[in-house]
Amino acid sequence: MATAIASEKKNGKVTQVIGSTFDVEFPESTLPAIYNAVRIDADHKGVKLELVGEVQQHLGGGKVRCVALGSTDGLIRGQEVVDTGSPVSVPVGPATLGRVFNMLGEPIDNGGDVNADERWSIHRDAPPVSELSTKTELFETGIKVIDLLTPFVRGGKAGLFGGAGLGKTVILTELIARIASAHGGNSVFAGVGERTREGTDLWLEMQDAKIGDTGRSVIEQTCMVFGQMNEPPGARLRVALSALTMAEYFRDTTGTDTLLFVDNIFRFSQAGSEVSALLGRMPSAVGYQPTLATEMGALQERITSTEKGAITSVQAVYVPADDPTDPAPATAFGNLDAFIYLERSISEKGIYPAVDPLASSSRILDPQYVGERHYNVARRVQTTLQRYRELQDIIAILGVDELSEEDKLVVHRARRMERFLSQPFLVAEVFTGKPGEITSLEDTIRSFEEIAAGKWDHLPEQAFMYVGPIEQAEEQAKKMEEKV
Amino acid sequence: MANARALDRRRSSVRNIRKITRTMELIATARFKKAMDRSVAARDYTLQLAKILENIAAVGEDLSHPLLESRPAQRSAVLVLTGNRGLCGGYNSNAVKQAMGLLSQWASSDTDTHVTVSGKRGISALKFRGITIDEEHHNFEDKPAFIEVSPIGTSYLNAYTRGDIDRLDVVYTRFVNIAKQEAVVETLLPLKPAEDKKIISSHSGNLASEEYDFYPSAESILEEILPASFQARLFKCFLDSAVSEQVARMVAMKGATENASGIISDLSRRYNRARQTQITGEIMEILGGVEALKQ
Repeated sequence: MATAIASEKKNGKVTQVIGSTFDVEFPESTLPAIYNAVRIDADHKGVKLELVGEVQQHLGGGKVRCVALGSTDGLIRGQEVVDTGSPVSVPVGPATLGRVFNMLGEPIDNGGDVNADERWSIHRDAPPVSELSTKTELFETGIKVIDLLTPFVRGGKAGLFGGAGLGKTVILTELIARIASAHGGNSVFAGVGERTREGTDLWLEMQDAKIGDTGRSVIEQTCMVFGQMNEPPGARLRVALSALTMAEYFRDTTGTDTLLFVDNIFRFSQAGSEVSALLGRMPSAVGYQPTLATEMGALQERITSTEKGAITSVQAVYVPADDPTDPAPATAFGNLDAFIYLERSISEKGIYPAVDPLASSSRILDPQYVGERHYNVARRVQTTLQRYRELQDIIAILGVDELSEEDKLVVHRARRMERFLSQPFLVAEVFTGKPGEITSLEDTIRSFEEIAAGKWDHLPEQAFMYVGPIEQAEEQAKKMEEKV
Repeated sequence: MANARALDRRRSSVRNIRKITRTMELIATARFKKAMDRSVAARDYTLQLAKILENIAAVGEDLSHPLLESRPAQRSAVLVLTGNRGLCGGYNSNAVKQAMGLLSQWASSDTDTHVTVSGKRGISALKFRGITIDEEHHNFEDKPAFIEVSPIGTSYLNAYTRGDIDRLDVVYTRFVNIAKQEAVVETLLPLKPAEDKKIISSHSGNLASEEYDFYPSAESILEEILPASFQARLFKCFLDSAVSEQVARMVAMKGATENASGIISDLSRRYNRARQTQITGEIMEILGGVEALKQ
């Protein structure tokens, strides 16, 4: 597409540069459409500049305002700008598997050119309502706290919310290790505005990890798209779309279950806010862009499952200052099926994953989908922990002795449940020295049922830390006794 | 962080709690003084009795009395002394824990037990743990009177002489000093003289060498002095418990007041921060709007 239009070039000139946005003046008759990519190839006094921008606003009088998708260093007024005639497009299809791209769809893994048959525009419409899949099915992860309290939906979206340093990326990597390695379909990973180092680590890890016992590495079924912290806001704003477009291709053409991992969707909103002010929009609540919900909606609505195929997506969402009412995470929240909230006070207790069992929720934690038993056990666990939290003020002031006998028992079990929600991770094995634990849903439900019923009241609290099913807690208790 | 108003509401409720705990601390302090005085007064009497008993024991070689002979325990009586009220730290639960240990010991050796509990707290705690309580007392507060205690003692003495019980253990909280009270199990029947040998010998000086003549007979004197000694010791358990309860409450309430103060200052800090964040946010929004309108 791009090459076809390149023949009738519609050139313009840079008239103004404001940070990572710039204005271009085109002849009135050949004004580029909104979202069209414009390209600058310049060589000024030995400074080479290759820049792609995206048209965001028509300012009137032949002027358009663009967001730079790369660095604007070296950009000067008067430089020639070429309208490519279409939005940014990325290569899609089997050729993208095993590769690492930047936001423009260029490979960045030194692996040579990508010979994709097709390129798709990154701006697409969400699938129409009539095509959406209505199936609801639980997606097992083998992580106790997630399977029990916030079950994932196959073909649904799950969000990992948490403040700085609570382990969002670790859980995400863990999920990749668990799901992607046991998963037949393709996976797409979008690195949005996070540490470049983490991206590299993940890439290397995926090369090592094998899918089941096929001998092939996970990377062969995965493509990765990175627009990390070092990239300008424009790139971080669009990288999620590039990755999503690749995932959409797999969904629509191969019909397999596709996994989409995004780390971190908050950076998408943040980049939008950085750009917004430069585009001259009036800031809205807490200084975010007024179009926050629109942008998030446009992205999230595309991450969905249709009759043709499913995209199961897991997204990390940074929560600034541990405040979940901040507009950015709050906007992301509404779009998700499963909501996992990581809590600082839990991570301070040394319980990982630091999932807050009371703040987290899932759409399908409902007897209709998960069955009566699972639902009842999950609710029982939540009620117990809720009561414990209510009693915490009293305990803090008067001490545990002042509680009634029933409440003491609640506290006793709640403390065990709280600890039992921890679990050793596959990816954390090198740090903890404990092999990762994959617990089946049945084991998880049974274990919690028994704890709630008081069958394991006699085990010391510490025995419940970092084990799989309850039998391991019993073993651990025995080992602890032997040591003493 | 979130809601400044919610934080403020929590803070004022913690303030109310602190008001109550501080008042309770002051009341407990006053009651402790009084209970302590009573206990000290009773101690002299108990010591004197013990001293006499010691001296008699030192002189008469073959003292024999039904209250002194120990029989294999087939039916054992347990008296648990707890408080009627809570808010006194681990006072009640420690006594209950001791009682549970003793009772499970009796249960494992198939001994019949007769359980008497004083204090609502202990009664409900033991009932919750599935213990059948044969007798309950609710009337002992911070000033146990000898008139109230002695009928209990008498009934135990009678039961023991009749052979209805072979042993009496009292679970109570011994007052060691103001910093230390411990829940203990003390066997009052069969009566063992010279329980507090150290105290006695330090007080008794060289009395043992003095010659004693018994009129009309050693037995008749023992008949008088042993029940009296038992009653005094039982009464002392009640007094000790009362003192310990007040001390425990005093300490617990002092701790609670301090904890509440800590929570209040923490909540205040969070409240101020939340409030400031809110204000800053609003100012930023207004300024942003103004700036945007200027263009």
